[in-house]
Amino acid sequence: MAVHPVYRSATVLEVKQVGPEYVDLLLREAEIARTSGPGQFLMIRAWPGVDPILPRPFDIMQCSPREQTLRLFIKVEGRGTALLKSLAPGAQVMVTGPLGRPVVDFAFSAVAFLLRGAGAAAAVHLAQSCRSRGIEVYTILSASTASRIVCRDYLEPLSTETLIATDDGSEGHRGLATGLLDRLLERKAIDRVYTCGSRRFARYVQRLDREGRSSGFVFLEGLMACGMGDCHGCAVRKKGGSGYYLVCRDGPHFPVGEVEL
Amino acid sequence: MIDLSVEIAGVTLPNPVLPASGTYEVDQVHDGFFSPAELGAVINKTIFLDPRPGNPPPRIWETPCGMLNAIGIPSEGLRTFLDEQLPKLRKLGPPVIVSIAGNSLQEWEALAAAIDESGSADMIELDLSCPNLEQGFIWAAEGQALSEAVAAAVEVTSLPVISKLSPNVRDIGEMAAVAEAAGTAAVSMVNSYLGMAINIETRAPALGNITGGLTGPAIRPLAVCSVFTAFQKICVPIIGIGGIATWRDAVEFLLAGASAVAVGTQNFVNPMTMREVIQGVAAYVEGNGFSSVRELIGLAHRVPEC
Repeated sequence: MAVHPVYRSATVLEVKQVGPEYVDLLLREAEIARTSGPGQFLMIRAWPGVDPILPRPFDIMQCSPREQTLRLFIKVEGRGTALLKSLAPGAQVMVTGPLGRPVVDFAFSAVAFLLRGAGAAAAVHLAQSCRSRGIEVYTILSASTASRIVCRDYLEPLSTETLIATDDGSEGHRGLATGLLDRLLERKAIDRVYTCGSRRFARYVQRLDREGRSSGFVFLEGLMACGMGDCHGCAVRKKGGSGYYLVCRDGPHFPVGEVEL
Repeated sequence: MIDLSVEIAGVTLPNPVLPASGTYEVDQVHDGFFSPAELGAVINKTIFLDPRPGNPPPRIWETPCGMLNAIGIPSEGLRTFLDEQLPKLRKLGPPVIVSIAGNSLQEWEALAAAIDESGSADMIELDLSCPNLEQGFIWAAEGQALSEAVAAAVEVTSLPVISKLSPNVRDIGEMAAVAEAAGTAAVSMVNSYLGMAINIETRAPALGNITGGLTGPAIRPLAVCSVFTAFQKICVPIIGIGGIATWRDAVEFLLAGASAVAVGTQNFVNPMTMREVIQGVAAYVEGNGFSSVRELIGLAHRVPEC
């Protein structure tokens, strides 16, 4: 039974600044909280009028049907996200969701997440789903520097191991997170890898997938106006063929071998 | 009981609000919003004869009160459309407008004939004005090309033909008159304005196609002006398009001379927009003592000229 997205007013419960550039946003909206699956996102618009005009897409990091809440993790980059950051508890925002295809295939026994940037929010939701199915979770978080490590507080309790890599060595392994994944795969029988936030990571996972070391998936982002397949804005080229997938409708998660990176 | 019905070229629309082509896909994703059966008409994303992949990303870019797009009309081609999409459109209930675009006069003919033959369309809209195609050619930007394309389609179908006009011309009223003389039964106006943005981070054009079409409330006063101008030059009905975000905007277009309105960009922003516009227009008609929405059409032209 397909879940249809709905357009609703949601209440802001909590706005928390995380590090220099991220915001953790908690919303109450019962129906979307009840119907969202891992890997799905919503479009949010938190300002009146027509400027900025477009809603913004964000991964659903956590959803609690019981609490009727949705948690988003937002990188503050432009006008829309700055407006989201300035919201106060009690404010009403318009949301459309859940959008995108949820992850429904859990036919694996151990998963590794190779993550950088705000896309890690999608992994939090998915890691929770994996854990509730008895799937072992390994997490590798990559960032330029320690203060930019994201979603660690959410992922660490869900993970058998959490490994950190920073470009400047301010925390954890100094240098490439792909090296950490490589060594992890040598030690553990991990049959699924999800990645986000770095083209280099995605290409690396593509190679792992091709070599049969683990099946790989990538969470993609795209500039989108609607989030539901109407605007055709968020096109990503199909691997080895002509034509495009839409990140919103066909993703946001893709088998890493099916998209041109 | 408020009469919201309007007539476009002999086809009765239950209300004057429809989606602009390419902004509202008829698929299950919309079932949680409102039923497409509530619309004044339904329309497909423009179909070409052959499949097309569309333009490379980035395809959209937000601008003040609007957006640029250079989607490039990805399309599965006529055959798949006839087999898979058109039957779905037909089942929805409202009149079906099929939007087509040809790359040559022969293609306009072939497409119009095939849609006519399908027996599943009530009207055909000629997308003569997409600014994002690889050849960069806009049929509706040149009088002779416009006239020939419209005539080619009209020749092979008994269905009413709507010509979708481009605002990227010196005088859109004149172009509307050209389309009328060539046999169009209605015009829709306006398609998007040619524009571009440059990404100052990458120091390159923001869109993969370099240029794109500007839509949204930013263009509304320009579009209202176009409809107002064309209304004085042609007798065939006008479908008004351009930055309609609320029922107020729809009423403005009706007063300017549109017989119906199409909502585009705002469908992306708020998927309930078209229902809200229908309800708002109905309330306006009733609240202002009119018995039919048709009484609003062109009313702004009563103002004496100065």
